[in-house]
Amino acid sequence: MKTSESLLSIGKFIAEYSAHLMGAGVHTSRVVRNSKRIGEAFGLDVKLGVFHKNIILTIIDKETNEACNEVIDIPAHPISFEHNSELSALSWEALDNHLSLEELTEKYRKIVSAPMIHPLFVLLLVGFANASFCKLFGGDLISMGIVFSATITGFYLKQQMQKKKMNHYIVFIVSAFVASLCASTALIFDTTSEIAMATSVLYLVPGVPLINGVIDVVEGYVLTGFARLTEASLLIVSIAIGLSFTLLMVKNSLI
Amino acid sequence: MIALDILTDGFFAAVAGIGFGAISDPPLRAFKMIAILAALGHACRFCLMTYLGVDIATASLFAGLIIGFGSLWLGKKVYCPMTVLYIPALLPMIPGKFAYNMVFSLIMCLQNMNDPEQLDKFMGMFFSNTLIASTVIFMLAVGATFPMFLLPYRAFSLTRH
Repeated sequence: MKTSESLLSIGKFIAEYSAHLMGAGVHTSRVVRNSKRIGEAFGLDVKLGVFHKNIILTIIDKETNEACNEVIDIPAHPISFEHNSELSALSWEALDNHLSLEELTEKYRKIVSAPMIHPLFVLLLVGFANASFCKLFGGDLISMGIVFSATITGFYLKQQMQKKKMNHYIVFIVSAFVASLCASTALIFDTTSEIAMATSVLYLVPGVPLINGVIDVVEGYVLTGFARLTEASLLIVSIAIGLSFTLLMVKNSLI
Repeated sequence: MIALDILTDGFFAAVAGIGFGAISDPPLRAFKMIAILAALGHACRFCLMTYLGVDIATASLFAGLIIGFGSLWLGKKVYCPMTVLYIPALLPMIPGKFAYNMVFSLIMCLQNMNDPEQLDKFMGMFFSNTLIASTVIFMLAVGATFPMFLLPYRAFSLTRH
């Protein structure tokens, strides 16, 4: 081996690194590639088996044929593209600059503990995003305003419930119900109310697991791909349940 | 007039892309690229559907391809993996109207169990909307991922400084 660090500590680091990537919403082939790249930087052969909840990996020293096994649970992180790109860059840096394990761990901790975008700023951006989404579907100015306020209410509720670590499905059902109920006030006005109601819940669509699932399936990681797609479709069903409560309440004025 | 339509479409798609991207915490340097890609993709689909009469699934495939190649090119400039740029850019193209009609027709189906004519109508509506919504999402994802298969070496070393 090129370095003096023990095989075990490198194994522990790679296990934590790969589990964090999977938790932060990175597609499987990138997790595998990045982990192998870090192993290569230390002259090690890394073999991974990735599942939806755990990762099993074996690290083999190419010179001495010593091996080390790790099994790690994948923690539930919020999706973070920032971690995705910074940690991918870190794996290249490890390979190109031959970082020691200590430097690598320090940089990893720094990236992982960096603050996320402020929740209030995200709230505002999501409100504007959903309002312009309403416009794309042909809504008028009144519906855009209604969708904006409905989205802000629903998304604020979602943020607060997620902070209290409530069950995902309950969070999605409740915020879809509240957002669509707020949007159903559009029925009072003479406006494109149906479009307003349709777009008010779209900020909840789990786009990242949905697209990651398709990528995984197409790239041959069918197991994790279908696990992601199943999770995404359960969330979509939750949105539909929340929306249908509102529709049942107001359906007479919709037909 | 046509140019104005296309520009407004692109503008609103860019705002939507930025907002939906912000939920997933992208790095700040990626926002500009996400906005450009979202505007480009949605305006392209809008043109194909409105002026050339292409159906929504095919138009989505082409828009996905444009976003995919764009993210491959712009990703190198801001050192971001392709998925970081193209997932937020694809989100404004999710067929929300069809998804909504899916839920709506399902409920109307269940409400009209005893009326065969109404049941038939809503059943048909449910199936066509489900089919279109899922095909469009699949086409978007495949279109945007295709460049990754075409140029794998470049796609995998975007974050290399």
